[in-house]
Amino acid sequence: MLCLPRSFQYSQKNAVLVPAAALGVGGMVVCWLMSRRKAKRLEVGDGWWGSGERSLREKEDESIRPFKIETSDKEIEDLHHRLDRARYAPPLEGAAFHYGFNSDYLQKVVAYWRNQFDWRKQVEILNKYPHFHTTIEGIDIHFIHVKPPYVPHGRAVQPILMVHGWPGSFYEFYKIIPLLTEPARYGLGDGDVVFEVICPSIPGYGFSEAPHQKGFDTRATARIFHKLMKRLGFKEYYIQGGDWGSGITTNMGIKGAHPFSSFKKLIQVMLGAYVPWLVGFTREDVRRMYPFMQKNVYDILRETGYLHIQATKPDTAGCGLNDSPVGLAAYILEKFSTWTDKSFLHRDDGGLERKYSLDDLLTNVMIYWVTSSIASSMRYYKENLSRDPALSDNTRFGVYVPAGIAAFPEEITHVPCCWAKMIFKNIVSYSYMPRGGHFAAFEEPKLLAQDIIHFVRRVEQL
Amino acid sequence: MLLEILLILGTIIFYFLRSRKKEETLSFKEGWWGRGQKPDTEEDATIWPFKVETTEKDLSDLYRRLDEARFTEPLEDSCFHYGTNSVYLRKVVSYWKNQFNWKKQVEILNKYPQFKTKIQGIDIHFVHVKPPCLPEGQSAKPLLMVHGWPGSFYEFYKIIPLLTDPASHGLSDEHIFEVICPSIPGYGFSEAPHKKGFNSVSAASVFYELMLRLGFSEFYAQGGDWGWLICTNLAQIAPNHLRGLHLNLASVTNMGFTHLLSILLGRYLPGLFGFQEEDVRRMFPFLKKGLYRILSESGYAHIQATKPDTVGCGLNDSPVGLAAYILEKFSTWTDLEFRNLEDGGLERKFNLDDLLTNIMIYWVSGCIVSSMRFYKENLQKGIGTQKHEKLPVQVPTGIASFPNEVMHTPQAWAQKKYTNIVSFHLMPKGGHFAALEEPELLAEDILQFVGKVEKEQLWRKKGE
Repeated sequence: MLCLPRSFQYSQKNAVLVPAAALGVGGMVVCWLMSRRKAKRLEVGDGWWGSGERSLREKEDESIRPFKIETSDKEIEDLHHRLDRARYAPPLEGAAFHYGFNSDYLQKVVAYWRNQFDWRKQVEILNKYPHFHTTIEGIDIHFIHVKPPYVPHGRAVQPILMVHGWPGSFYEFYKIIPLLTEPARYGLGDGDVVFEVICPSIPGYGFSEAPHQKGFDTRATARIFHKLMKRLGFKEYYIQGGDWGSGITTNMGIKGAHPFSSFKKLIQVMLGAYVPWLVGFTREDVRRMYPFMQKNVYDILRETGYLHIQATKPDTAGCGLNDSPVGLAAYILEKFSTWTDKSFLHRDDGGLERKYSLDDLLTNVMIYWVTSSIASSMRYYKENLSRDPALSDNTRFGVYVPAGIAAFPEEITHVPCCWAKMIFKNIVSYSYMPRGGHFAAFEEPKLLAQDIIHFVRRVEQL
Repeated sequence: MLLEILLILGTIIFYFLRSRKKEETLSFKEGWWGRGQKPDTEEDATIWPFKVETTEKDLSDLYRRLDEARFTEPLEDSCFHYGTNSVYLRKVVSYWKNQFNWKKQVEILNKYPQFKTKIQGIDIHFVHVKPPCLPEGQSAKPLLMVHGWPGSFYEFYKIIPLLTDPASHGLSDEHIFEVICPSIPGYGFSEAPHKKGFNSVSAASVFYELMLRLGFSEFYAQGGDWGWLICTNLAQIAPNHLRGLHLNLASVTNMGFTHLLSILLGRYLPGLFGFQEEDVRRMFPFLKKGLYRILSESGYAHIQATKPDTVGCGLNDSPVGLAAYILEKFSTWTDLEFRNLEDGGLERKFNLDDLLTNIMIYWVSGCIVSSMRFYKENLQKGIGTQKHEKLPVQVPTGIASFPNEVMHTPQAWAQKKYTNIVSFHLMPKGGHFAALEEPELLAEDILQFVGKVEKEQLWRKKGE
């Protein structure tokens, strides 16, 4: 499955922050964080994702170009027409969200989208942070780059690269960015740790160009983001990954591990409920993981249909969603419901508005809509998950850079610290978060920011 | 790795020992699938004629959506490996807009008499075709044919004349049929259930009631895809009414220890497990032809069995999305090699008019979501967990095993479930949509099967 430890020449001090201890889908970023394995020193490598053949004569344009998101009357009218003529199928009686997104509630969301949601206003909000484009390996990479408005004299500013997942976007970080660039203002410490934040869009997502060639996986993404940071002048930086980030590294560890460790895990699972202390589980681990079959097998099977179809037929799955904004909203918002709190399945409205505002949710959906990126975002699953497992078994590795894990309670599945240690050899902090689900940055920005700052404090003092 | 295998084996042995097959029958499933509460009055059992209709409004709405469709460029050289190729899809959409004549197709649909009748609270649509002429002394045998997903009653339009009028098509007229093709509730012109829980046993019960209502106390049943399961359940509910069961798909969902053993060793000791040479050719290497194939082709089933309303939503709103989703199956399930073709090989075996007519049935009836719910109702508890999966079928069964089905079931496995297999043929060519793709081959197999059953029945009656 993944890419991991590449020992690049420079950046030895990249720290990994793995927020959701989730076996969330996909995987990315974190993997390419450096590893301190002395055994191998792999080449950075290169790639080409533009159309056709790469021109060997032309040198790649390395300029960083400012970018502003724009919209037009035409775009908004087209959207409104599609919303107006949407066709719905009535839900089964008493279905709530058990069959997927409830179409009665969907009609309410669409009514808001049509009549109250103001895309022009949201575009202004999106543009409040500086956006840029730069061409790397043949495709335009979009990112926002937010510097702290004020830095006390002599204070170091930590660069942090924050990478979104699916079906999210750079927009998920809009609430947490100020907490990291101006922590003192939000009561998060006395400004001893201050960040400048870089949030790119994964190629194929949002305003980053989609790769034109097959094979664009997390390894390639990692390399591109590393080149981005280098181009921005950063030799050392922190990295924070959600969704794609944590999932893959955990899976990588499991896959590449010695078979004995899978057996060991099985024993731990079987005994863990009864004698947790014997197998290294905490009481909180037990609370989150059991009943095991229910929480880990059935729940995962129930929630991974999208992963299965996206990892095999992304162009089919994405086709209708790129043509029907209502279909796109249902597909994406279902995740914001179920992955935030499993009990939301029982609610007719999927509990969406308990934790998020419709404006925020729809802005994220609009990013997929206006960029027509849903199909390319789904291809990422196929590029990463449908490889011959025999190939990935060769990439055994561990992550030796300092790692911090924030385990949110409503993640689909819980990974206890002792399992995480199998991959992350240098866990500096592991926190059981009191509340929150998969979209941590979106849902609980303050909690997540606190954990990031706490983690970075520890690393800086090391 | 070895440890894992041993553990899995151990679990299977344990499970096998625990679950003994009990001789039980499957009961008819009462239900009420209409809106709200079931009324106290007796159900209206009338059968009324039905015609497919279309309006200018329907057509102009469709054309507008086709005109405004948004496509995503495929990756270079991806053919059909990532799903339906949008470059080819654009060609299909262009045909759809400019050449496909829905009004003409509606006339074709209406050439066979169609009806509706209310059963268990919902309107059931069906086609009922009687033979145009019957030789003296012969009576038509009723044959129920059940479609699957993403098909419809329309899949049978080419095979119907071969069964109602075999002589005109160069086939033996020893047996002539009157054919009944219903639409599964939630598909096409059958009303979708409003309540949760409508599964294959419910559908079998509804179709059983339909046949009784039409006055048939004995009949044949034929099915593939979901039709396979519904007809199997019918054979389990009403074995005395079913003279014979013919299937062009025979999946085995109740896997046991012997199945696992035959997968591990069947390639080397085929005789021991009752495998023929062709079985070995179709099934092995098992990882490639069994496991990986299922994994790579069952994403749709996984998401439909868990979140049908989500995945169906966009498809009910975008005809192009709907076409991409459905056409992908007509490509891959007809021949897996078609994934390597830029056009998915679709027009090699089907014509666009037929493919689009099937899609239009889903579009104009708005049934894609309800059609997908059938997966959840049947699969949500997992495969191999339902009662009917553990029960055998004793009705005389004929199986036509087509080579390009996604997964092959050898006779050795099928006969554990279908204990009275009268004929089992490895067909020379064809895939999942047998009735549409190879109607002559399938009709011939049905005819020879019925021939055998009738001989046997006659023989039995003489012996009494």
